[in-house]
Amino acid sequence: MLKIFYGDMKESIYNTASYFKYDYEDDWIVDPFVKEMIYDVDKSVVLDSGVIDSPVLGKIPPTGLSGGVKTLILVKFEKDKIFNASTCGDNCAKWFLKIAEKEDRTINLHHLMDFGKEGFDILILNTNQIVHTKMELVSIAGEFV
Amino acid sequence: MKGKHRVIVSTKRLKYDFEIRRNITIIQGDSATGKTTLVDMIREAVNNPSGAAVDLVCDKKCFVLDGTLWKEQLAAVSDSIVFIDEGNEFIKTIEFSKFIQNTDNYYVIVTRESLPALPYSVEEIYGIKTSGKYGRLEQKFNEFYRIYGADIYKGSINPDIVVTEDSNSGYQFFKNICDDAHLRCESLNGKSNIFQYLNSHGNENTLVIVDGAAFGSEMHRVTELISEKKGIAIYLPESFEWLVLLSGIVRNSMLNSILESPSDFIESKEYFSWERFFTAVLIDMTKDSYLAYKKKNLNSAYLTDTVKKAILEKMNYINLN
Repeated sequence: MLKIFYGDMKESIYNTASYFKYDYEDDWIVDPFVKEMIYDVDKSVVLDSGVIDSPVLGKIPPTGLSGGVKTLILVKFEKDKIFNASTCGDNCAKWFLKIAEKEDRTINLHHLMDFGKEGFDILILNTNQIVHTKMELVSIAGEFV
Repeated sequence: MKGKHRVIVSTKRLKYDFEIRRNITIIQGDSATGKTTLVDMIREAVNNPSGAAVDLVCDKKCFVLDGTLWKEQLAAVSDSIVFIDEGNEFIKTIEFSKFIQNTDNYYVIVTRESLPALPYSVEEIYGIKTSGKYGRLEQKFNEFYRIYGADIYKGSINPDIVVTEDSNSGYQFFKNICDDAHLRCESLNGKSNIFQYLNSHGNENTLVIVDGAAFGSEMHRVTELISEKKGIAIYLPESFEWLVLLSGIVRNSMLNSILESPSDFIESKEYFSWERFFTAVLIDMTKDSYLAYKKKNLNSAYLTDTVKKAILEKMNYINLN
């Protein structure tokens, strides 16, 4: 399940782009799930572990990916760490839910990310409540951002 | 700094062209729309002026601020447009807010977080969109778009309850109007209480009146909340004082020019938000007259039928009778 703590959180890694720069591994980039995420969010194609074909920037290294995709990759592979997911736009929301489908993940948000109108299970750690709809989520999480 | 400033930054592949018109501009939106790329291009152009493949055209100096030494860097920057990418925690601090109040720069900040310590306008929150290719090169052309449009509501609004963030003259004005029309009117004593109020009330027919000039930090959570509730409308004039000036009851030869292009008159170092500027203008233009304006207590001249009618007429779509 996806678990979210809203607002400032001491143990959360705030600057995810900087963390990614020195932490990512070649294997992560060529993982089929990651390739799909990169294609969906950045519209870019992974050529190999060190080269990605971006329609805007040309051939770029993994550090040239968008801030959102970098954070998604970290959340997928660094299971025990908590990252600031406010570096991600709404177009990353479905990927957080997919990553957390089989294994629990905790992320930190400083804004209200749009996870869709309904049909999700998210545990809001601030109040220990599980929400399933946007209305429930906004009503609870909005108090903390 | 005052005025509007156009920024054009380009490479072989990419071009951004936009105008900055207030001291604080926020950029947010989906991932991979080019926010960080924009800041990187500005940084490259500024750091390598003679050898960069990035062209930067602007009538003001541009600068990218980041890292823990932000204060030291900023102390050396004036009369410039300062860009700050996401990942810089200092933007949330009171220290940053206080520091930039005393500078004459404009700030462009990439963040999805709300920054309650900064009084930014709902009108200066932008996303970036690609609007096609530019020129004969395969250059993608990017521009800003307003995330919160100026005309969200098209139908007429007939509320049963009016709530204001203001507790001073603005509230006193709307309370008087509501009393006449037998409507309920409440002051919430500050913008941060709006979300809690709406969250704890049902789908009542409510009009929320806030100062658009400084409501930027609250806008996202409030609009997310009201998108799930029926019967709630939010009205965002720059400020109550702006509405009074717009109504035409104050006569001054400069007023039309000011209202037409406020940024040409508002020195950012003197006025942290436009709301403060419009208050100062209204006080100045009405002093020693029967309309002498005070923020704390509303002059009874503003509650005469003629003045009330003139102000209400400027509130498009809203019916408080």
